[in-house]
Amino acid sequence: MFRICVGLLFLLLLSPAFSQETIDLYNGSDTNISDWYSNSVIPMFQQAVPECKVNQVITGGGAGGNDPIVDRAYAAFKTGDDPKADYFEQFDPFRPVGAMDEGFWVEFSNDNVPNYASVVDAAKETPYNLPYRGSQVLLAYDKTKVAEDEVPHTWDELVAWIKANPGEFIYGRPDRGGSGRNFVVRAVHEANGRDPSLFTVDNFEADLASERFAAAWEILNDLAPYLYDNASYPAGNTPTLQLLAQGAVSMIPAWSDQAIQAINLGVLPESTGLVQLEDLPLVGGYATSTIPSNAANLDCALKFADFVLTPEVQTSVVEEIGGFPAISWDLLPSELQAKFADVITNQVPDFPGGDWNSAMNDSWYENVAPNVNRND
Amino acid sequence: MTFLRRLAKDPFGIVIFIALFLFIIGPMISVVLWAFSIQWRYPSLLPTEWGLKFWAQTFKRADILQALPLTLMISFIVTIVSAIICLPAAYAFARIKFRGSQFFLLSFLATNAFPRFGLYITIAVIFLKLNLISTILGVVLIQLVNTLLFMIWIPTAAFKGVDKSLEEAALDVGASRFRVFWQITLPQVIPAISAALLLTFVGTFYETQGAILIGLPGIRTMPVLMLSLINNQLVVQYGAILSLTLWIPSLILLLFARRVLSGKTLAAGFGV
Amino acid sequence: MEASQLQRPKAKLSKQAWVAYALIAAPFLLMVLLIVYPASLSIVRTLRPEVEGVRRFGLENYQAFFSDHTSVTNLIFTLWSTGAIIGLLFAICLPIALYLRFTDSWIAHWVQGLALFPLFVPGIILAYALIRFIGPNGLLETFIEVTTGWQGYRTPYLKPAGSIIGLVWEGIPITVLILTAGLAQVPDNLIEAARDVGAGRLQIFFRIILPLIGRSLLIAFALNFLGVIGAFTLPYLLGPAAPQMMGPFMQRTFYNVLNPDAAETQAVITFLLSSIVGFLYVRSAVRQQKEET
Repeated sequence: MFRICVGLLFLLLLSPAFSQETIDLYNGSDTNISDWYSNSVIPMFQQAVPECKVNQVITGGGAGGNDPIVDRAYAAFKTGDDPKADYFEQFDPFRPVGAMDEGFWVEFSNDNVPNYASVVDAAKETPYNLPYRGSQVLLAYDKTKVAEDEVPHTWDELVAWIKANPGEFIYGRPDRGGSGRNFVVRAVHEANGRDPSLFTVDNFEADLASERFAAAWEILNDLAPYLYDNASYPAGNTPTLQLLAQGAVSMIPAWSDQAIQAINLGVLPESTGLVQLEDLPLVGGYATSTIPSNAANLDCALKFADFVLTPEVQTSVVEEIGGFPAISWDLLPSELQAKFADVITNQVPDFPGGDWNSAMNDSWYENVAPNVNRND
Repeated sequence: MTFLRRLAKDPFGIVIFIALFLFIIGPMISVVLWAFSIQWRYPSLLPTEWGLKFWAQTFKRADILQALPLTLMISFIVTIVSAIICLPAAYAFARIKFRGSQFFLLSFLATNAFPRFGLYITIAVIFLKLNLISTILGVVLIQLVNTLLFMIWIPTAAFKGVDKSLEEAALDVGASRFRVFWQITLPQVIPAISAALLLTFVGTFYETQGAILIGLPGIRTMPVLMLSLINNQLVVQYGAILSLTLWIPSLILLLFARRVLSGKTLAAGFGV
Repeated sequence: MEASQLQRPKAKLSKQAWVAYALIAAPFLLMVLLIVYPASLSIVRTLRPEVEGVRRFGLENYQAFFSDHTSVTNLIFTLWSTGAIIGLLFAICLPIALYLRFTDSWIAHWVQGLALFPLFVPGIILAYALIRFIGPNGLLETFIEVTTGWQGYRTPYLKPAGSIIGLVWEGIPITVLILTAGLAQVPDNLIEAARDVGAGRLQIFFRIILPLIGRSLLIAFALNFLGVIGAFTLPYLLGPAAPQMMGPFMQRTFYNVLNPDAAETQAVITFLLSSIVGFLYVRSAVRQQKEET
């Protein structure tokens, strides 16, 4: 009898530990996303999959985001240790160098993540990351300073506006946030016949890159003297947005979701206008999550990945953070489809991560950024 | 009137004071103003709308309230452990002649110059092997390394400065070595050691790089939590409120420190 | 006292030496394990570049650094900024230290309190505060506009001056402390004697005070140099996109250019520069030791 009691007690003590795995989820995105996780996504997941718990670790800000943690996990992968990380809300699986080929990242498929089947093809760049929310970069401007008929609708009009209003436009450093990066990408597209299909994950070559970038740097260097304060590029999406909020500039490229949230919070005034270029939209992109293959709680991490692709969460992407779903609109509630009928695109134009991206950023630092401070 | 006359006696002091005040306190004033504003649009000199609206919102975050006691505890542990291992070493450096003492003492300064960020990843790998990642012990160890320089150098100088004739006199009249240390040596070095403890505590409390790489996901200290909130927030007020909050422990220490630091003991530690 | 110690028998000395080694063992081992060991690994890695898929000893990483325009520009910029910061710190802190040395008024107490204040403000808060203060349309700009009506304010935020201002702000307390301590060792009677023979203030400063505080100046220089050259937070948040100081540059090379070898090379070069300054310091320390014995 005593033995049975002890046995039961042990079972009771141990059972929660066995049935409740906790995944360590690292979120290095802007605060609108990590807040959305704490308040919506994680509680929803907890209800749907009670056996898995989620510990969200916020790494955004000046600390290098998820990079140090990924490096740590990759080192653990090589030595066979527990990486203490199960899920990265947003990461580029082309980093760290060589990790993808060595099998560090989980390869997503319809088998391990059933809902992967419903992801739109345009969002899939590689099977090693999970696109789950899209957003686009557009121009945010101050209606009190930019008259209705001056609002640019094409790249040329934008360039003309910037030159006509020196000091009133700025974009952020391309490696520090998508709003600046995608503005630079748009210049690269402009210089290459506005054809995003020229850039794919597999066709990177250093010579080709320097040739294609050269024309884009000409465009951006031509703009530099007309940018805010002799081209003082801010270090991130938020600092760029705050320059607009402070009235230091009157137009910036901004993430649609972040700009809308800023207007709702009163950070940007009601008089803020949003406009997209019509000749070729400023590129956007899908935020893609990654899972390290050595994750200690791989099962729960995969369940979470599956869960963010459910119509339930995808609806929340549209409603709560003003993003695009990564699954087809047809799978979302019909009233939502009707409401967003004008903005529905099944595709957000993109620029590949990996080599193209890091070469572009580095080349920008070498060729565009130095032309800034010579006058100081 | 006497007040003015006293001021007039020291014109140079007033100039220095005002200039320093603008430079040092100016930035802090703008943080305080932001923390108590609801709206502040350019070109208004002061916030256009005052209020505490954002304070309540900031402190709704449970993680901040959990992190504060944890961070204080870790900083206390680091400071105490650092004192336990470094003060005897400082005593040895100051009072015992041994081969290579100069080399060992300077090695603490030299290694301090190696850029940390590359090292932390290598250390993280070692800690992964030892199962120290995401534990309090791991965070304490990594932060301890950063405290060695101050905790050894400042007390070493203080021990060197102790008046030995007093000690010898006490020994001559038959006092035990321990008693001499406790009653004569220690009181003379207390100010410098307090200063070193203070610097160690403040430095540890605000350390982020090591705390991120070794502490996450289990151990989240205040500065790690706030780093993202301060510079990544759309709402400027959140950052201002968090900055003020994060600064409270410092403010308390500053009040304590006035007595310690006004003695010129601290600087001697850097070998002046 | 030194003499009495020297006269002690040799055997006793060595026994004491063992005690000393035991006392310094813990911090020293900690330092070896957590700094020296990983640092040596990283230095060795930079000396074993990957050429055609094989790692072997060679200086390619360093050649690459010095033939790369951006790297050299950033290195020179870092040295230039460091020089400017230290120069400014001396220009600001020497008058303060002199004032504190020769005045004992309640204003002096407040000045000292203010000068030490930055010790208690972490870099992350400082960066945030400076952006609001000196940043575009910040408190300083509005203050100038409202009080003087002058519209020409150009913000140093995101320019080299931005990170310099931040780092000077951070460096004030240590510099003031070291210089006051150095000045405290200048004997009053020496200055009074000079005054008696009719020396002017400047003469006293250059002829008597300056030679006596040379060592403090060197220490202040060394500590600030070591602190500034690898700084990350303030240059990253307040400084320009290019040229960059070594701290943010290393970080960018590591995480964004995805070239850990290059990043480690940058770290080692930064360390070597620090070592040169460290060497000056060591030499002065050894000299002082000799003077004493």
